[in-house]
Amino acid sequence: MTRPAPDPTLPWPEYAKALTDPARARERPEALDDLLVLDCSQANFAGLFASSILAEFGATVIRIEPPGGDPARAFSPEGRRHRDTGLAYLVEGRNKHHVTLDLDHAEGRLLLRRLAAKADVLIETFRPGVMDGWGLGYRQLRQLNSRLVYVALATYGQFGPRAASPIPDHDVTTQALSGVAHITGEPEGPDGAQPWAMPTRQGSWAGWYMGGGWAAFAALAALAWRATSGEGQFCDVSPAEGEMRMSDYGVHWYHSHRQVWERTGAFNISVFPYTLIKTTDAYSFIAGFSDANWTGLTNIMGRPELKERFPTVRDRTAADKQPEIHRELEAWSHDLTSQDVLDRVMDYMLNKRGPGTVATARVNTPKDTLAEAHWWERGVFQRFEDPHYGALTLQAPPWKMSATPPRLKWACRPVGADNVAIYTRYLGLGPSELASLRDRGII
Amino acid sequence: MAEAEYFRWTAELFDRAKIFDKPEALAGIRILELTTLILGPSTADFLGEFGAEVIKVELPPAGDTMRYVTPRGTFWKNASLGFFPENHSKYHVGIDLHKEDGKALFKQLAARADVMVENFRAGTLDRWGIGYRDLSALNPRLIYVANSGFGQWGPFALGRASYDAVAQTVSGMIGITGFPGRPPITCGIFIGDWFGALMAATAALVALHHRRRTGQGQFIDYAQSEGLIRSLDWTWVWAGLTGEDRAPAGNRDRALGASDIVRCRDGFVAIAAVTDAEFRGLCAAIGSPGLAEDPQFATLAARLEPAHADAVLRRVREWAADLTRADLEALGEKHGFAAARVASAADRYDDPHLRARGAVWAYEDGLYGPMVEQGPAPKLSATPGRIRWAARPVGWHNEHVFRTILGLSPSEIQALESRGVVGHWADRVGAKPPDGATPGASP
Repeated sequence: MTRPAPDPTLPWPEYAKALTDPARARERPEALDDLLVLDCSQANFAGLFASSILAEFGATVIRIEPPGGDPARAFSPEGRRHRDTGLAYLVEGRNKHHVTLDLDHAEGRLLLRRLAAKADVLIETFRPGVMDGWGLGYRQLRQLNSRLVYVALATYGQFGPRAASPIPDHDVTTQALSGVAHITGEPEGPDGAQPWAMPTRQGSWAGWYMGGGWAAFAALAALAWRATSGEGQFCDVSPAEGEMRMSDYGVHWYHSHRQVWERTGAFNISVFPYTLIKTTDAYSFIAGFSDANWTGLTNIMGRPELKERFPTVRDRTAADKQPEIHRELEAWSHDLTSQDVLDRVMDYMLNKRGPGTVATARVNTPKDTLAEAHWWERGVFQRFEDPHYGALTLQAPPWKMSATPPRLKWACRPVGADNVAIYTRYLGLGPSELASLRDRGII
Repeated sequence: MAEAEYFRWTAELFDRAKIFDKPEALAGIRILELTTLILGPSTADFLGEFGAEVIKVELPPAGDTMRYVTPRGTFWKNASLGFFPENHSKYHVGIDLHKEDGKALFKQLAARADVMVENFRAGTLDRWGIGYRDLSALNPRLIYVANSGFGQWGPFALGRASYDAVAQTVSGMIGITGFPGRPPITCGIFIGDWFGALMAATAALVALHHRRRTGQGQFIDYAQSEGLIRSLDWTWVWAGLTGEDRAPAGNRDRALGASDIVRCRDGFVAIAAVTDAEFRGLCAAIGSPGLAEDPQFATLAARLEPAHADAVLRRVREWAADLTRADLEALGEKHGFAAARVASAADRYDDPHLRARGAVWAYEDGLYGPMVEQGPAPKLSATPGRIRWAARPVGWHNEHVFRTILGLSPSEIQALESRGVVGHWADRVGAKPPDGATPGASP
């Protein structure tokens, strides 16, 4: 399938839109539609996000749940269910085939082995050694299928002094071990310990989503190697290490100067101004941290003398100067709305009124974001009509791609909804065999 | 026993000492990057850690802005600490892309590249004549990753600058993070950049998979704000179904009960006991096993009732206050719930588990001497990731790249240098090598 090239005389934004508009994704092929993925994760949104990524790009993903359903279906604010399923699972059930299988049962394990013999990727989140103990670990499955890419997620990974730790993999523990929670949140003030002045987690499941992202990345890297070698491999993914990889340069600072990075609220210790300021209607982020950009910001503020007071990056990132600079910024924004701040910045930037690049944005609540046309025009959100779950507001895949755009095909399915289709298609099981498996609680 | 045997096998399979004796998943893939700060550089870096050759083009003599981003203005051996974690094992060249000959040279590199990564404001490189339209005409197999704040098209894409924290604000991430009633905080790390880079690198791997099947390259438009929107789990489906905004909830997790960060005698610990079995373990550890049978707490749905969740978490906080981090971690392992310290940089730096796994990676660099950094995140058994050398000054590898990849003669390179088409570091902290270093003496 070749795509007609957009008119080459179009201005860049129109050309780029013609190239990648997700509204036309269905006209184009899917990159991973040659892959079969088994997602055996349980009670774990890192595993679920990993298989969502592969499913968004067209892989056939079989979601294998215990017969009662994955406990992750119950992970929902205040326990709220929509039909039979929690809200978080409605987001990560996308494009997957939902089957049940009891891996605690020998016959269930045999069925999984038969599926694994045909699969390209297997994802699991059990305590390290559990799948191996069941005869379903990488070293057993590779005997059946040497091309299999086996991805295991666990907090401490599959090897190393703590690998045998039996703790379940959760988001908050990943955020804690990664080092990110340690440097996020308000420091203790003069009043000492307060319930809010403590290490703070991201409100979203940042640990699980980073862990899942790394698991998908690992699977795709292993598939690249398989294309060269013909061989699969074992990918050991610790979500904690996945988030740790992103923990900026705290380890470097400790190595170079034995300095331990501590939390500083909304004051960035390396770039400033790069902070949140109060306006009449909301908080806004504002940045102008290099010398040129600080010049731009002080011009926009109409306070060029501030440039002389805090002339260097070192001045502006000093712990004692940051509150002073912050007070000056808030003195300026005190009578402005967040839109005024944006208008002044954009006037300076678009009309090239002086040097420097300044960035600003209102601190949105989610509903503020949902009200902005930009995201809808770009297909970032979809009001999705799902045959079983009805109308849902869902975040779409985040990539715009010219040749193989990802897409949302269905939101979720009930527990075991695809048992008949999948077990018939892949294992040739007929109605009476399926009925027997169902009666015995294996599926 | 079987489990001990499993860990003996994984220790052998993933042995760090054998990493350099194993092949690399992305060997033979060449990445050309024209990027600054973190989002672009780490997109290339993640691929480089798994064997891609990365050529980093900077504008001499100052180079990448990240060379001047460092905690409290503290440089080390003339380098910023901020420049290290997203620039490993790369070839650093300096080309002045404002000159026509510089663009021509850049195009020669693009003709020989598999993946191009950039993070300029939308349309900038198209205007310079080295954007997707120009480069894909030269090299139809090229995968072009355009990273940005708001994407290549749509209302916000037109001239608006963005940084990591802009993505945090516009996505709603800051709006759902932190403690109710407190001023907003930014994430301690540049999370939109890092997570964005992981998503962009993943898309590049997907596009390489498609190219193996078809020979065709493609264009990828990745906006970091949209990546964070994708990562906000149930936020959007909740707003769609309830019409309500998601507000910050502190460290408590509204969808997982019990899950929190608690203060203990020597620091803070994250605790999560979510499934019924995990919760029974937590109750046993607290010394109140009966709590797990109380109808207020017997099921996850009951535990997620706000009043019930508060009651449990009060108990957990009182219990934890007199224990140490090590006590709580040991109790989690004994009773099967998740408990893990809020780790500082110092905690991670010295952690024998992380050292054994290469999650904290110590090596001797030819230019900077002993280095300790975060290592590659996923651990791949057949094609493990690795760090070869640390970041280098602007233009450090001009000679290598222009001679061995483009085949220029020494006199041609000299002519380009004398006309200022190619160049290297300024005599400025952040750009230049450590004092006393000899160019050519280290890779």
